[in-house]
Amino acid sequence: MAWSMWWREPRRTYRFPGKMEVEKYVYTPGLHGLEAARALKEEGKFLGTRCGDTIYYPPTTLCPDYTEGELAEVKGPWRITAYTVVRETLEGERLEKPLVIAHIAPDDAVGGLIHYVDASPDEVYIGMEVEPVLKPKEERRGNPVLDITHFKPRRPETEE
Amino acid sequence: MAGKEAKLPGTYLKGDEMYKLPGLVEHRPEAKYSFAAGQAVSRFLEGLKEGRILGKRCPRCGRVYVPPRSYCEYCFAPTGEWVEVSGEGEVNTAVVSYISTFRERLEEPEIVGVIRLYAPGYTGKEDEYEFPGLFHKLCGVTPEDVMSGRVIGMKVRPRWKPVERRIGSITDIECFEPAEG
Amino acid sequence: MVVARPNIHVKNRVAIVGAGLTLFRRRMLETPRELAWEAARMALEQAGLTLRDIDCVVIGSAPDAFDGVHMKGEYLADGAGGLGRPTVRVYVGGGTGVFVPIAAWWHVASGLCRSVLAVAEEKMSPAHPHPQGVFAYIWDPILERPLGPNLIWIFALEMRRYMYKCNVDKKTIAKVSVKNKRNALDHPAAQAAANITVEDVLKSEVLVWPVQRLDISPVSDGAGALVMVSENEARRVTDSPVWVEGVGWTLDNTHWYNRDLAYPRYVNYAARMAYKMAGIERPWKEIDVAEPYDPFDYKELHHIEGLMLARRCEAPKLLEEGWFERDGELPTSPSGGLLGVGNPIAAAGIMKVAEIFWQLRYEAGARQVKKPVHKGVAQAWGDLMQAGTVIVLGN
Ligand SMILES: [Zn+2]
Repeated sequence: MAWSMWWREPRRTYRFPGKMEVEKYVYTPGLHGLEAARALKEEGKFLGTRCGDTIYYPPTTLCPDYTEGELAEVKGPWRITAYTVVRETLEGERLEKPLVIAHIAPDDAVGGLIHYVDASPDEVYIGMEVEPVLKPKEERRGNPVLDITHFKPRRPETEE
Repeated sequence: MAGKEAKLPGTYLKGDEMYKLPGLVEHRPEAKYSFAAGQAVSRFLEGLKEGRILGKRCPRCGRVYVPPRSYCEYCFAPTGEWVEVSGEGEVNTAVVSYISTFRERLEEPEIVGVIRLYAPGYTGKEDEYEFPGLFHKLCGVTPEDVMSGRVIGMKVRPRWKPVERRIGSITDIECFEPAEG
Repeated sequence: MVVARPNIHVKNRVAIVGAGLTLFRRRMLETPRELAWEAARMALEQAGLTLRDIDCVVIGSAPDAFDGVHMKGEYLADGAGGLGRPTVRVYVGGGTGVFVPIAAWWHVASGLCRSVLAVAEEKMSPAHPHPQGVFAYIWDPILERPLGPNLIWIFALEMRRYMYKCNVDKKTIAKVSVKNKRNALDHPAAQAAANITVEDVLKSEVLVWPVQRLDISPVSDGAGALVMVSENEARRVTDSPVWVEGVGWTLDNTHWYNRDLAYPRYVNYAARMAYKMAGIERPWKEIDVAEPYDPFDYKELHHIEGLMLARRCEAPKLLEEGWFERDGELPTSPSGGLLGVGNPIAAAGIMKVAEIFWQLRYEAGARQVKKPVHKGVAQAWGDLMQAGTVIVLGN
């Protein structure tokens, strides 16, 4: 140390613990978000925000041109646009069954959700058609990530 | 547009209306931290454990820093020698708290204040705008002393915790109490 | 400390041409980005512009920990009109609201952008059980938090010191709360407007003496926005631009208990910087209307002195004489301030700038001050008695 120090340096650097003094956060769904939450909870429907010819999902309320959009139903079909396979827990333990996590977008909207796909890593591919599996109505709370348990592959009933 | 009659956007949620909304999401942050005190303050904390209040002097401008800093904020240079202050000082300001950190009502109000510490050969800078001092609890004074203003300017000194209970924390000083005489 | 010497040779003069606000309320349905959008859309509409006319965006929001969303600038970007544009978020605690138009000013003054959307948003209601918990994190974790402080302590300590130094009593200070809450009765966004008396303030719950319940502004959700453009653009879109004549900002250290809290040096330095740029030598004579920051009632007086609108310790006397009323010599907080309109931190500061904008355009309706107005000042303060942000406007 360059500057004179006739007193000794500390023997150790003291550390003090701290904890974020917020018990929890409560996030409101917002304007279109509230309508979409109702539709999902009550009818199992997905609502997005329509701006001109484009529907945005999840609903954004506002459009890129800064006007307010209209609510519009998103019907799908839903398709995997990207996926990853998780084989270990955060603590580094091997998972018995690998988890497939995907970004899933409906064909009729821009946007999508991140969710689990109930498929083996070998069979999953980009472009794969999947469908949401919803919790029963009485368990639904209006949030798509929580109300969908997972997406499952849509097996073609007839060969194309 | 700006007058009282203007209709502004925004949807107010009354009372617990918010908690009944569908689509509401809750999250618990569970964020934990560990804060390092750094060199200068660690030495200061060790000093408290020894029953001493230490500061640092800037060799360029002569400012005495209590609590100590490793560098002078104004000269932007390392501070030099350590100085020990007696712990005696004057109450600069004081208040009576009737609430806890989380705004619960306290049974016994708590008195806290800023203590301007005497440092040998130094009275502060910018017409005493800056001074060595600590933020701490005050004991031996009453809420009435605070309200009447009697406490401001009062000579005080630290009341130390018994040596075996000191851990190297600002709470090694129990409080500042009136200095007799 | 030294007062900054601003380089006044700017490329473009900067004007405010539109302002927008949402309601200020304890809790709102809208997401933070929806609040930002509503306020910004209104500001654009008032300016007669659309988002396509905007070059750059400046966003302001106080701690992420209120909304519970990290990278709030990025999060707010779409609602604030920032997508695909040079966008930045600025933050100086409670001083943020006035710092947003200051940052927007340098975007335009430098010649970098012709038009800027300046948006400030705050949603404090997500934090539970109370936003107070978030404030606990502004205290030093080593030398302050072990003492178990409540945020109000620091204000009470400052208020007590001011009362002592200036020999002013609580009865006088309470008149600020009475004035501002009454002024807010005419404000469309107001959350805490009321006709109260000095007695009501003195009888309200004592939290940390000398601070009582009605000495404090409420916790709020809300947003505000301004459209700020270069002189050429301003002349094109309006006959009544309001010019930014001076800006100033200063930060002091976090060691608040090593400073005399009776006087806000950081506000004074920021004010002197702004006045110098604006060519104002005698602010107490040249400023016609002011919006000093008033999260607590004594703070308004404290800041009036820091802004040199009164001599040190003179503000309480002038208050008693009615000097700061809407029909007074130097109306302060004609909007109703944070005490009356509410305190969604960053949005509250921009609300004050918007008020000066409306006052200088004679558009404030029932809130319009009686005297003719040419120059106004808005100011905010932030952090541990540290940050001063000041903007001087003229018509
Ligand atoms: Zn120095």
